[in-house]
Amino acid sequence: MLSIRGLTVHHQLQTLVHPLDLQLHRGEWLALAGESGSGKTLTSLAIGGLLSADLHAHGSIQLEGKELLHLSEPEFRHIRGREIAYVFQDYQSAFTPFITIGKQMDEMIRAHTSLSRQQRQHSCLAHLEQVELPAKPVYNSYPFELSGGQLQRAAIATALLLSPKVLIADEPTTALDSLTSRSIIQLIQRIQQETGIAILWITHDLRQVQRTADTLLIMKSGQVVESGKSHSIFFHPTHPYTVQLLSSIPKLPSRYRLELQNKQVNT
Amino acid sequence: MTTTFTPILKADHLTKIYSDRPTPALSDVSLTIGKGECVGIVGESGSGKSTLARCLLRLESLDQGTIEFRQQLYHSLKGHSLRQARQHIGAVFQHPTAALNPKLTIIDSLMEPLDLQPSLRPSFISQPIRNREQIATQLLEYVQLPTKLLSAYPHELSGGQKQRVTIARAISTEPDLIILDEPTASLDVTSQAAVLKLLQELQQSLHLSYLFISHDLAAVYQMSDRILVMRHGQVVDQFASNDLYHEERHEYTASLLDVFLA
Amino acid sequence: MSLSIGLRYSFLTLFLLFLIVALVWTPYDPYQIQMGDRLQTSSAIHWLGTDHLGRDLLSRIMEGARTTVGISLAILFVSLLIGVPFGLLSGYIGGWLDKAFKKIIDAFMTLPDYIFALILTGLLGPGLVNLIFAITAVKWVSYARLVRSIVLEQRQKDYVRLAEISGMKPWKLVVKHILPHTIGNLLVLATLDIGKIILMIASLSYIGLGPQPPSPEWGAMLSEGKTYFQTAPHLMIFPGLCIVITVLLTNSWGDFLRDRYDVHIQSHSAKRSMSSILFRKGV
Repeated sequence: MLSIRGLTVHHQLQTLVHPLDLQLHRGEWLALAGESGSGKTLTSLAIGGLLSADLHAHGSIQLEGKELLHLSEPEFRHIRGREIAYVFQDYQSAFTPFITIGKQMDEMIRAHTSLSRQQRQHSCLAHLEQVELPAKPVYNSYPFELSGGQLQRAAIATALLLSPKVLIADEPTTALDSLTSRSIIQLIQRIQQETGIAILWITHDLRQVQRTADTLLIMKSGQVVESGKSHSIFFHPTHPYTVQLLSSIPKLPSRYRLELQNKQVNT
Repeated sequence: MTTTFTPILKADHLTKIYSDRPTPALSDVSLTIGKGECVGIVGESGSGKSTLARCLLRLESLDQGTIEFRQQLYHSLKGHSLRQARQHIGAVFQHPTAALNPKLTIIDSLMEPLDLQPSLRPSFISQPIRNREQIATQLLEYVQLPTKLLSAYPHELSGGQKQRVTIARAISTEPDLIILDEPTASLDVTSQAAVLKLLQELQQSLHLSYLFISHDLAAVYQMSDRILVMRHGQVVDQFASNDLYHEERHEYTASLLDVFLA
Repeated sequence: MSLSIGLRYSFLTLFLLFLIVALVWTPYDPYQIQMGDRLQTSSAIHWLGTDHLGRDLLSRIMEGARTTVGISLAILFVSLLIGVPFGLLSGYIGGWLDKAFKKIIDAFMTLPDYIFALILTGLLGPGLVNLIFAITAVKWVSYARLVRSIVLEQRQKDYVRLAEISGMKPWKLVVKHILPHTIGNLLVLATLDIGKIILMIASLSYIGLGPQPPSPEWGAMLSEGKTYFQTAPHLMIFPGLCIVITVLLTNSWGDFLRDRYDVHIQSHSAKRSMSSILFRKGV
């Protein structure tokens, strides 16, 4: 569905992303993991043509066979939202403060389709329900009236409004509590099963995607150091950096291991 | 355990109310920290864990409750006696960038506590050393930083390096207790692991007591002997780390466990 | 206003040279009345001509520079001397002092600076000392306010908290960690203010509330010259030009310093904007 070949991102003479290949299929959950400065966010922005003017992307990004990289800004605007949707870390700025959530969602549909007012409202409410929010009240709320988790859910509902084929989620749970982020991940998982949307998940925290990701790309200083099936990387990492990254994650012992340890201490 | 438990810090019934918030930031929180012990506090944002840290550091006043530090009354100290008591306490905060004055060189930030108490000389520094620069050099070596950083300014250092400087600063007075408030939350995963390891090594070699505060249950588990779970300003659960999976765990602890158990 | 750096420095050097020369030497005695030479235009003997009492205009302008610029610097100095400590105390100690200070600010905010100074000099009566007093009374507030806001911002910084934990005494903490952060802002505000103060002195003098004759002050000279405007316009043009040039110079330097100071802030926010580009909402 989404196919990236030899993508590079430059800033003046500096290469920020080295040639990168990536295949994302329908219904697949691909996690792009790396630390700050690894180029994971730049890659995700390049896909939607969101790089700032001083950054230059080269190579090839194809969405269902259509080349994206050389599209003009109006063409990109047409693609974003309809075919590729984004959810970002900073849920606070996902909505304009003094306009109701419903109005902003409505605007999004109106910009891209010619549905009637009632159809639009119906679609908004349905999508708010899909993200497990009380649809009517949230539709009429202002952003500041919602909690962080609720706002991020509303942002996801907005992203899904036009049934995009690819959802790019850039650290969408980093600013949230661990329990809230867990429920957001479960929500997206459910939506993926229902709709078959392809997900590109950008994160610095491998723990988040251990249970959900099908495919994993590990990036370091602009380069992909390891990629493959998620479980094979988790259990048999080959690149030293991946090994280091995995061992750096604080872990809880399993119940069984802890009991074993306690027994050893006691005897 | 047969070793006698000597508390270094004993806090009882701490309550803190902010006038602009409907619920207390701390409500009836009690805890003790033993000598050489690491007590962990886990909680999400808004659980009151950072307010607790600031109250224990006497950066904020309490509305109720008592604190004893080194078997002495601590919560009501003022002026000179407060400054004296605080010599024995150290702190590391979440944002290393905010912890270093951008206008001062690393050596000046690092040596600030010792400059203020010229009579103090950390015992772990080899003895014939007199000169300020040599002490600073040794402190940096202690936290595994290159000594050329002494004359650098904070913006020249990475986040992990800056956090190491604040740790070196915290141990420089050989405090009895160091309060670590999310010391790794703003660091990358790999430097996070390195800083946690460093903290554990320092605790071993200098017999430090820690209060380790984090939202990350796994990190808290890794560091602590005992764990307190905070939520909405209250301690909802507490247990020894090796007793993590007890049937009587609070449901909130259980849900956290579920999240962090990958 | 953007001037090349070289031009900017040459203007400043010329201006300072003029001031220094004026301090030690004037072509004629600025108070020497020569009724036979009154209202002359520019000539080789009197470069800028003479006034209605036959006094050399260039000498009077130079003497006036001493007065005008001198008074404005004095006002600035006293305002800083009162404003900075007050802002520090108000911000750091807080409590009733801060509350009282906020009331004072509110009171001053109700009327524009000029009106306040006008009322005060009106009440105190004309004269040099009263003028200084009135303008200082208006000006110190803005310095105290600026310093107070920086103190409040800095107090939240972790390094200030850590210094407090390390046992640093409050006054030392303020001097070491807070005061240095005020200097850039104060420099910019003070430079911009010199022009405003000069204008204030000149306008109060013009309406007769400043230094009294025969002492030359640019505003007062304008006022004296206005009677002869039709026959001897140079009496107003030259002092007027001096005021304009001085104010432009200080304003342009103030802007320049502010830009430079902001550049420092921007280099931080440039990094931040890099990340805001990364997290930009684009849909």
